Amino acid sequence: MLSENAVKEIGLIRNKYHDAQSSLLPALYVVQKEHGWLSPEALKEVGEILNVPKAEVKGVSTFYAMFRHRPIGRHLIQLCTNVACMIMGSESLLNILKERYGLEPNGTTGDGRFSLVVMECIGACGTAPAMLVDTDFHDNLTEERIVNILEKYK
Amino acid sequence: MPKDIIIELTINGKNIKAEQGMTILQAAQKNGIYIPNMCYDRRLKPYGGCRLCVVELEGQKRLFAACSTPAEDGMIVHTETPKLAKARKTVLELLLVHHPLDCPICDKAGECDLQDLAFKYGPSQSRFTAERKHDPERVDAPIVERNPNRCILCGKCVRVCAEHQGVGAINLIGRGFKTKVSPAFEETLNCEFCGQCIDACPVGALGAKPYRFRSRVWYMDEYEAICPYCGCGCTTNLSLREGRIIRARGKDGIGINEGNLCGKGRFGFDYIYSENRITTPMIKKDGKLVPVSWEEALQYVAKRLEDIKGKYGPSAIGAIGSQRCTIEDNYMLQKFMREVVGTDNIDSVARFGYAKAQKALEKAYDVDFMPIKWKAPLNADFMLVVESDITSTLPVWGLNFIKAKNDGATLVVADVKETKLARNSTQWLRIKPGSGTALLNGMMKVIIDGGLYDKDKTSAVPNFDALTAGLKEFTPQAVSNITGISEDAIISLARSYAYPGKRLIALTSNISENTKSMNTILAAANLAILMGDDPDTVQVPAEFSNTAGMWMSGVRPLSGGKDVYDMLYEPGAVKALYIMGENPIVTFQDAARVEKTLKGLELLIVQDIFLKEAARIADVVLPACSWAEKEGTFMSATGNIQKTPKLVAETGQSVPDWKIFRNLARVMNKDLGLKDITAIRAAIADMIVSGETKDIRRSFNPASYEVMETVSEEYPMFLVTSNILQHSGALSVLSKNLDSVVSDAYLQVNTKDAKKHGIHDDAFVRVKSKRGEVYLKAMLSDEVPEGTVFAPLHFAHAKVNALTYPSLNGGLPLVAVSIEAA
Repeated sequence: MLSENAVKEIGLIRNKYHDAQSSLLPALYVVQKEHGWLSPEALKEVGEILNVPKAEVKGVSTFYAMFRHRPIGRHLIQLCTNVACMIMGSESLLNILKERYGLEPNGTTGDGRFSLVVMECIGACGTAPAMLVDTDFHDNLTEERIVNILEKYK
Repeated sequence: MPKDIIIELTINGKNIKAEQGMTILQAAQKNGIYIPNMCYDRRLKPYGGCRLCVVELEGQKRLFAACSTPAEDGMIVHTETPKLAKARKTVLELLLVHHPLDCPICDKAGECDLQDLAFKYGPSQSRFTAERKHDPERVDAPIVERNPNRCILCGKCVRVCAEHQGVGAINLIGRGFKTKVSPAFEETLNCEFCGQCIDACPVGALGAKPYRFRSRVWYMDEYEAICPYCGCGCTTNLSLREGRIIRARGKDGIGINEGNLCGKGRFGFDYIYSENRITTPMIKKDGKLVPVSWEEALQYVAKRLEDIKGKYGPSAIGAIGSQRCTIEDNYMLQKFMREVVGTDNIDSVARFGYAKAQKALEKAYDVDFMPIKWKAPLNADFMLVVESDITSTLPVWGLNFIKAKNDGATLVVADVKETKLARNSTQWLRIKPGSGTALLNGMMKVIIDGGLYDKDKTSAVPNFDALTAGLKEFTPQAVSNITGISEDAIISLARSYAYPGKRLIALTSNISENTKSMNTILAAANLAILMGDDPDTVQVPAEFSNTAGMWMSGVRPLSGGKDVYDMLYEPGAVKALYIMGENPIVTFQDAARVEKTLKGLELLIVQDIFLKEAARIADVVLPACSWAEKEGTFMSATGNIQKTPKLVAETGQSVPDWKIFRNLARVMNKDLGLKDITAIRAAIADMIVSGETKDIRRSFNPASYEVMETVSEEYPMFLVTSNILQHSGALSVLSKNLDSVVSDAYLQVNTKDAKKHGIHDDAFVRVKSKRGEVYLKAMLSDEVPEGTVFAPLHFAHAKVNALTYPSLNGGLPLVAVSIEAA
């Protein structure tokens, strides 16, 4: 169930756009912000609020990589493994995450603290390797630094 | 874009003309030039997905997709060059990377676009290799099967479903190679099952389950026929194998429907193969129907009719015609009754349906038949649909309302139920059941008080004072109380309706509906006349395939005979009844009364294709041929007179209805003078005038709001009944295909009401009205509001019509009921 606030916010978004289709993406952001992911129930609800068929809601949400269709941990780590980061050692960072937290790409830690997604280039090649934790940006990562950073996220 | 501007361009060296705004593909198709394509569909917006329609434009380096490039004046186009062949070959190679080569077991093989194009342009071997998809086939849903492995992701099915049908049950789920056409969560498909996606699919990814593995396409013969269900009069293309219909589909551009069909037309044809078909004449002997020869049956009918005529006179005999039998059949029925029996007691179920519309339009415009205009919605700027589920009763015509709305027109739906049109409307006013008449009156009051009507045109129309007097009580406040919507909504609806532009009011008048009456249609006509609009801005379609034709052929009392109300609801009004192609126990309201009357008759003759409720209690049963087993003519709601051919052999000893009357007349020593179908057609040619309306004389007829029954403490809820999309009258339930979608009656209950009464989804509910009680399965749904329940009438065993009652004229036959968990 979406919170009253989310429903209200989606209603406001709907009024901003000419048609329901246009308001779909911003509405999905609202839901993801609230739940961390897009559950089938939430997608259905969004469809009902916007009068968009649920198949279309699901279709749109699965087209874009930034929408998540499984529950995630409290914090989402998005680690870059593209060329620059790979050369600068992102692979060893992956190993650290696995050893220390038991965290594999597309996985979540048992205590629901972290989820890990391996992503392509966040535009920080000059200061590689880099990652996003939730919406915070961290670069110049080393094995030591990544552990220190993550310890701040409970 | 203005369509009347003609541009000239050159395609493959040929100069052609096209309308401005057409794409290159449309211009080419209009001029008979073929450009390969897979994702293009005339009904949909250009998509440009498959890239097979690429063409070369002189002066341009890159290739252009013909389906999404507008044709321009002076353009020089080439559609078949080595460069294009190479491009198309590559596209096909890529499409074939994942496509399984299972053509030998694919039902589409032989009429598959991919197969044909691969044969024309494609290589025998692809340069690319990849793992084939191996998703399981989905055959779990009724009627529609999906094979995601064969899908080329052109999205045609998705777009037809959402854009054209207004449903959106499926979508492209996922991205890249993993994309799959599927319902939202891979659940079993649960849609309206129109099957439009199947016809749209260029490959074998979507199929009709009833056709699955039944034939190869080259073993079948295809014929055009007129669909036997509703008043649209769609052309359906029937595929026959070894004399049996195994498939129906729409073909692009064919018929008034231009290739669209609804689920009934596409899948409902199999009722003719039902086990319930009557195969021999039968006579009741010792309380049991036993098969007899035609000679014996006709002799018996002749003798019994003569006896009753001798004893009580011809006016003790009556007949009921059929909206589904052909014009020829109905004509011969009334000719037989009038000339051989000598009675004018001839009528049909349309008395409670379309006849109300006819009566209203006759009062308003002084014409006795007003065909609908197929394209009326497409020409309107503002459409108002009052308590009518048009996409269920005339599904293909209903699509024009959705299209018009998508093209920018305003669609306002006033209905208690969340119908498909309501979901696709600009504005949906959830009014209380049966309050449409009051709403229309309220609109008129606002319009007249505000001086927004056409004063010049109405000055000459009689009865204006009576109209204004009749509207006195319909103030916004009063109407708000009746309809349950706000005063502001009523005022703003009236004002936007009166706004200059092309207006349209559409509503249906069917026996299965209990929220409208003749007065609703009168009110609609009053409103149109008030605004100075033409009569064709009020669209009331005839319900079934031959409702209009039956009316035209004289199946109605013409010289003071008894109508169907007298015959069926006044026991003893007639002693003998001849029923052709009708099952009054299911289709008429207040079943108990009808059944009692029928049982009290001295002689009941039922001539039908099925042995159903009425036939079972008959004294004589005569087997008639079904729609595809005889040649005949239908007149559709648009007034189109269309012939439909005999395609399959007669079932058992069944005989076309018209022939039974001819033979019976002969047995009774009268010759009706018409020995074959050609003679009948010649005889009725003068009688039937389609679409030609005589001079129109407008008049206002105050339409009062007469509620015949209202909710009380004992019966606190309203029961709304009507047709549902998957069924049509009592006929379609004999189709196994349609029954696989909806096989049983149900009662839609609002979730809050269900909670209040402790009713669970799919559990039985006892529904009681003053007239009776029935048990129905609950379907919890917010399509109906609190305080209202909905039930379809099609299912004989559910006896929903035991709760209801008929209304002949202006009275609203609203039904108050109580519900409780059973």
